Amino acid sequence: MQHLANVTELKARLEAPAIEVEGLSHVYAGPDGGVKALLDIRLAVGKGRFVVIVGPSGCGKTSLLMMLAGLLQPSQGTISCLGRPMPKPDPQRVGVIFQEASLFPWLTTLDNIEFPLSLRGMPREERRRRSAAMLGLVGLEGFGERYPHELSGGMKQRVSIARGLVQDPPLLLMDEPFAALDEQTRMTMGHELLRIWSTTEKTVVFITHSLTEAVYLADEVLVMSARPGRIIDHIQVTLPRPRSYEMMATEVFGQLRERIWQQIRRAP
Amino acid sequence: MTRAQIIATRLALLALVLGAWELLPRLGAINALLLPPLSQVLTTLVELLGRASVQEAVTVTALEVIVAFVIAVPLGALAGILIAENDYLSEIFKPMLFYVFSIPKSIFLPMFILVFGIGFQQKVAYAAFTTGFVVLMSATAAVESVKPDHILVARSYGATQAQILWRVYVPSMLPFLLETMRISMIFNFTGVMIAEMYASRTGIGHLIANWGENFQMPQLFAGVIVLSAVAIIFNEAVRALEARCSTWRT
Amino acid sequence: MSRPAPATVRWMLLAVLLVLWEVVPMTGLLPELFLPACSKTLSVLYGDRHIYGAALLVTLYEVACSMLIACGLGILAGALVGGTALLRDLLLPVFSSLYAVPIVILYPIFTAWFGVGSSSKIAFAGIYGFFPVMLSTAAGIRTIDPQFLLAARSMGATLSQQITRVIIPASVPTVFAGLRLGGALTIIGVVVSEMLTASAGIGYLVTLNRTILDSPRVFAGILAILVLSIAYYMLARALESRMVVWQSAGRQQQSSAGVSTAAVPAPAAA
Repeated sequence: MQHLANVTELKARLEAPAIEVEGLSHVYAGPDGGVKALLDIRLAVGKGRFVVIVGPSGCGKTSLLMMLAGLLQPSQGTISCLGRPMPKPDPQRVGVIFQEASLFPWLTTLDNIEFPLSLRGMPREERRRRSAAMLGLVGLEGFGERYPHELSGGMKQRVSIARGLVQDPPLLLMDEPFAALDEQTRMTMGHELLRIWSTTEKTVVFITHSLTEAVYLADEVLVMSARPGRIIDHIQVTLPRPRSYEMMATEVFGQLRERIWQQIRRAP
Repeated sequence: MTRAQIIATRLALLALVLGAWELLPRLGAINALLLPPLSQVLTTLVELLGRASVQEAVTVTALEVIVAFVIAVPLGALAGILIAENDYLSEIFKPMLFYVFSIPKSIFLPMFILVFGIGFQQKVAYAAFTTGFVVLMSATAAVESVKPDHILVARSYGATQAQILWRVYVPSMLPFLLETMRISMIFNFTGVMIAEMYASRTGIGHLIANWGENFQMPQLFAGVIVLSAVAIIFNEAVRALEARCSTWRT
Repeated sequence: MSRPAPATVRWMLLAVLLVLWEVVPMTGLLPELFLPACSKTLSVLYGDRHIYGAALLVTLYEVACSMLIACGLGILAGALVGGTALLRDLLLPVFSSLYAVPIVILYPIFTAWFGVGSSSKIAFAGIYGFFPVMLSTAAGIRTIDPQFLLAARSMGATLSQQITRVIIPASVPTVFAGLRLGGALTIIGVVVSEMLTASAGIGYLVTLNRTILDSPRVFAGILAILVLSIAYYMLARALESRMVVWQSAGRQQQSSAGVSTAAVPAPAAA
């Protein structure tokens, strides 16, 4: 039985962590006592950090993300984002980006980006201003009037990211956003994401299956075990920023990948 | 809801409907002349089934349904397969099929009567005509449902045309074919009914139209019940067969 | 040697048919009784245009009213039954079983109850169109990507916002398909019922003229109905493609297969 992750390095920081999770467990209702998805998760994410969660399929990482987003309530334990709990989604505090871009096909790109703003009743000019700014941030100027079906997979995900950013939430949750893209697009998008992230000061929690992606993007990698999911390792990625593709060929990179892989393979 | 609960709820709903059918006319809430109580309809039904004239009508209708089906299916299937197999023909005819389906084919019934008169051939010809189009469309869809990947794999293993036909096409199309038969029969039955109700001196459809004209409501309802029962039973039977054959179907 | 484009072939076929329609009766290959010449039919149609016009109005009125029932109720019921898991499991199989029954046998009941006028036609055609539209809408509602609602919730949408800003726009293609189907079916239903027992309408004219063996007038009626149903189909498709411009790429056309595994029926071959 693995011990819980050691999170003492965060105590050195003076600021309160952006995310704090204590004693979180979750059981999905069902026959035979239900499905234990998560077991006694405890973690803290510092402000402005880029944290990546990896783990085998079904380990509960998506459930954990949904709880951080306020879309799901845990059976046990507490969550606090920026010092307050998450009883329901709060898009101004926490932005969520899913694996499927889920852009509404009946809206143009710009309309899709400003959708969360229109839900709040923001006036049209203000909305346009912000969504246009986001469009530029993700590198899609000129595509504002296109419809989703005219965009490639990578472009759709960029729009999805723009939509998640448009309310400028300090916290960003991303659930395997590049999983449906091909390898080359993934690498480009990862690089783009780091660029966008470096121009803002957001805290990011990113889920992926790809070990390469994890090491490339992260400040810290949390490794989860198979179901019921626990955090079995907490790896600091000390590679310098800004990251570059060449770093992927270094020994340090390879060792970090190897360590993650060993942890995942060994986890019971 | 569990399966048992669903069935129980449905039976309860059915009992409610049947109960209302019995009670509302009896209590006078609905005019019993317009909607005779269920019990009366059922006794009439039993009595009708014993009558020779009714049995004769049933035989005529059944014969028409079968003959029309036997004519329509091979012709429609052949045409459908031809269209599906030949890209050029596909491009020509497939867009037309949608137009064809929007047209009320009953409008051609007078044409059939002008040519064949009123009688067995006319009804069979009309029913075959309407059914043929359905079979055609279904056959086209069935052929197109065979995945080109499967055919490619078979060919790469050296299968002959005949082998591809029997070992890939037929098994792949079998559930589709059953469904085609089922739906074609529904349309076939409808076609025969329309022809019989429109201009005919024989058959159940004619009897029903007659009873309606003469306000013989118990008989009318009895006829409707019998026909509906037959249609539903046939449909469900073929569906069960389909389910057996298509466990692998997505 | 290149082949002519498929569209050209279709027009050619149409032209050939029209020519045959004119020539064959004239040369006496087929008696005038079976097939009156195209020109004769058209001239009779023009000559009696007031009669046909009035009949067409009656037919159109009945179609409009029954469309209200078939599409209005059908879409609502379909959305309800398809969208609610409970109702769906309970009722959908029942409705698709009932689909096997030839609805036309109910028509004499309607004439006995409502008489020979428009009400019986409207009731009949309304029911005739109701079931397929309901089944089609129920199936269509289920194709709405559940991820949309998840995304909307994560963006803080309230329940009413989820319905008005996500579910309703996402249902537009399904609704339009339902309208197209409902219209086609109600036209068929009205025509069939007018032919069977009626006192007015194009179907009634066709039957009337058949019994007096006036072939040109019979065919004039047939032509009128053909034009009506094709015109409706083209109108519905044009509207649909304009309104639903964004669904062009990804989605399968629901109408492409006459047979489908879901209980989505093709317009009836009545």
